[in-house]
Amino acid sequence: MGKHVRIAGAVLVSATLALAGCAPSTGGAKVAAGGAGGGTGTVKMVLWPGPEGDAMSKVVTKYNAGKGKSDGVKVDMTLLSRQDTFSKESTLMAAKSSAQDIYFVASYNVGQFAASLDPLSEIDASNYFPVAVDGLKYQGKQYALPLDVSNHFLLYRKDLVNALVADPSQKSAYEAIAQKATGENRDPKPAAQWDWTDFKAMAAYFSAGTNPKSPTKYGTILQTKNLLYNTMVWDDVLWGMGGSWTTPDGKANLATPEAQKAVELYADIYKNGWTSPDSSQAEFPETQAALKSGKAAFAIQWSAGFAELSDKVKSPEVAGKIAIAPVPSKKTHVHALAVALNKYSNNKAAAKKFFSYLATPEAMTVYAEAGGIPAMPKVLADKASVNPAFPMIAESINKYGYAEPVFPKTFQAYSKIAEDLSGAWLGTVDAAAALKTANSNLQGLLK
Amino acid sequence: MSVQNKAGANRAKWVLGAPLILFTVVFVAVPVFQGVQTSFYALTLQDPSAPFAGLQNYRDLFSSPGFLNAARFTVGFALAVTTIETILGFGLAMVVNRTFPGKKIFFTLLLMPIMVAPALLGVMFRLLLNGDIGLVPALLDKIGLQISLFAPDSVVPLLVVLDIMQWTPFTFLIIYAGLQSFPTDVLEAAQIDGAGRLRTVASVILPIMKPIIFAAVFLRLIDAIRTFDVIYVLTAGGPGTKTTTLSIFIYKTAFESGGFGLAAAASTVIMLLLLPLVPFLVKRIARQEGDLA
Repeated sequence: MGKHVRIAGAVLVSATLALAGCAPSTGGAKVAAGGAGGGTGTVKMVLWPGPEGDAMSKVVTKYNAGKGKSDGVKVDMTLLSRQDTFSKESTLMAAKSSAQDIYFVASYNVGQFAASLDPLSEIDASNYFPVAVDGLKYQGKQYALPLDVSNHFLLYRKDLVNALVADPSQKSAYEAIAQKATGENRDPKPAAQWDWTDFKAMAAYFSAGTNPKSPTKYGTILQTKNLLYNTMVWDDVLWGMGGSWTTPDGKANLATPEAQKAVELYADIYKNGWTSPDSSQAEFPETQAALKSGKAAFAIQWSAGFAELSDKVKSPEVAGKIAIAPVPSKKTHVHALAVALNKYSNNKAAAKKFFSYLATPEAMTVYAEAGGIPAMPKVLADKASVNPAFPMIAESINKYGYAEPVFPKTFQAYSKIAEDLSGAWLGTVDAAAALKTANSNLQGLLK
Repeated sequence: MSVQNKAGANRAKWVLGAPLILFTVVFVAVPVFQGVQTSFYALTLQDPSAPFAGLQNYRDLFSSPGFLNAARFTVGFALAVTTIETILGFGLAMVVNRTFPGKKIFFTLLLMPIMVAPALLGVMFRLLLNGDIGLVPALLDKIGLQISLFAPDSVVPLLVVLDIMQWTPFTFLIIYAGLQSFPTDVLEAAQIDGAGRLRTVASVILPIMKPIIFAAVFLRLIDAIRTFDVIYVLTAGGPGTKTTTLSIFIYKTAFESGGFGLAAAASTVIMLLLLPLVPFLVKRIARQEGDLA
């Protein structure tokens, strides 16, 4: 038995070493980069579930019943899990699979995926927000078409904030708390006029721990979970303070006084208890929960959050009481969720017919009516009756939108910044040291 | 046994074992080989041409603070939860290994946590423990306890407690199954000799149950080292990298950084570190000749 085990072990090790010398099936050997196909037939597309998937399914149904028939194209959409869509797509791309023709991508990972995508230069993208279109360009080529656009707003309890602004009897109490919290003289202001210092002062005023008369337990809820999407939220503070990821000549720019102020804003709010201690694990759903429950007076939140908070059934405590305002200091991250063409698809001509349809106001009107937020200013303007936030979204993107730089490791950069700074956001790690690490790591990714 | 019977028995052995061998080759051996192979290539999403990298991925791995932090946290976490779960599992098995009213219902309730998919359990805990809408903080608040379960200082103990709640039934089940075949004559002899309850457990039950307990420890330890679901859903490895396990590190390296070669190297290293445990533990799990049976 011992001899057999030794022989088996030797075979195992030899086979492993031999295989190691061969190219992996996922790389190395050249794989043909797909084909145009006949321009008809079934086009397979993946998307993630949620508002975008639900809205897109209506667009696909309409296309298949109408224009698709004249195009000779039928679109077959698969919804993957919201958490793992990009991971599953990464695996398909690494395997150079032709199983899907159209991938779901975003402006924050299009650079990473570009090697597995075909440019869409011939599709007319003039109906979209320019910032959304530009965010999907990599090395000057258009790699995806915007589908849904996401930005941030300040969602706030208008009944509380407006009452504070209108009530002279609260002014002196507010000024005293603001002075202590920020070191500055601040009057209560309408939410649309806030900068980040006002944000901090208001967070202190609406926290019961600092102001026993506060109607809410916490002023705000910060999204500080170690998650790449929370980097996007914090970037609003960074850009609002005058900072950015990179210098004009493309070098990492996080070890700056502006970035330090942006980190310290979060840390001060957390350490002083002006946000729930659970903020350390908060992202979109936790922010919604804090606003819905009435425990927080305001928060920076994704635009998609407003509709639910205005719904009497889903948010009975606060429906009708939540308003939206531009992010303090008027800088909002904008990214587009998008659709892109698989380089290894064998059906590219048919897929491009669907892309041409998607790029029309007609398709995006269906998308908007089904609950999506299309990246088309005309549709947002025309469909304000469907979602009252649409006009504000259009204005916000046009006037205040910024996009982080697009490079092959943009997706990784968001994750790395969250990883490097999420401790500092809570004040458990020194801000300067964390930013130095983040800057060094970002510089490594920019190469 | 005649020569013909022996040949027939051999043939039967291979025929009956063929499905399992085939399954192991297709779903275990081939993916493992492919993973090891990938670890020697610089395969990234940004550059799918995957040039041969030799040992570069391994060099990058061992100089990566992220990998070393994840390894430290994972080992500490795995040892802590395995130890506690084994002790609690043993205690529960001893308690349940007797007749009492409602035993079947109690048994079923005890096993419920391991019937729930870990990722689903993570989502459930995320809701239950939420400071604003969660049931647990609301109940704690009612008894005057205002604790933030997700605060940086409490998040690691929280994860340990959640793991214990989920997996103690697993160790309990293994040890309880072992107790069902425990020789009762040995217990009777100990009773006759005047051994008390604790002495019986320490000097009679534990030595005989050692192989079963080692089996529970081994299985639980391997699983704890691979922990991903609940921690990823609850904390995503944060704050910072405070709760990043090796599995989360590998996942993020592969799917957020697009570094498939590096992720494969990390997986290979973990496999090579755990493999030597197998013969060590198998030796202790398998009963020796002459042991009471």
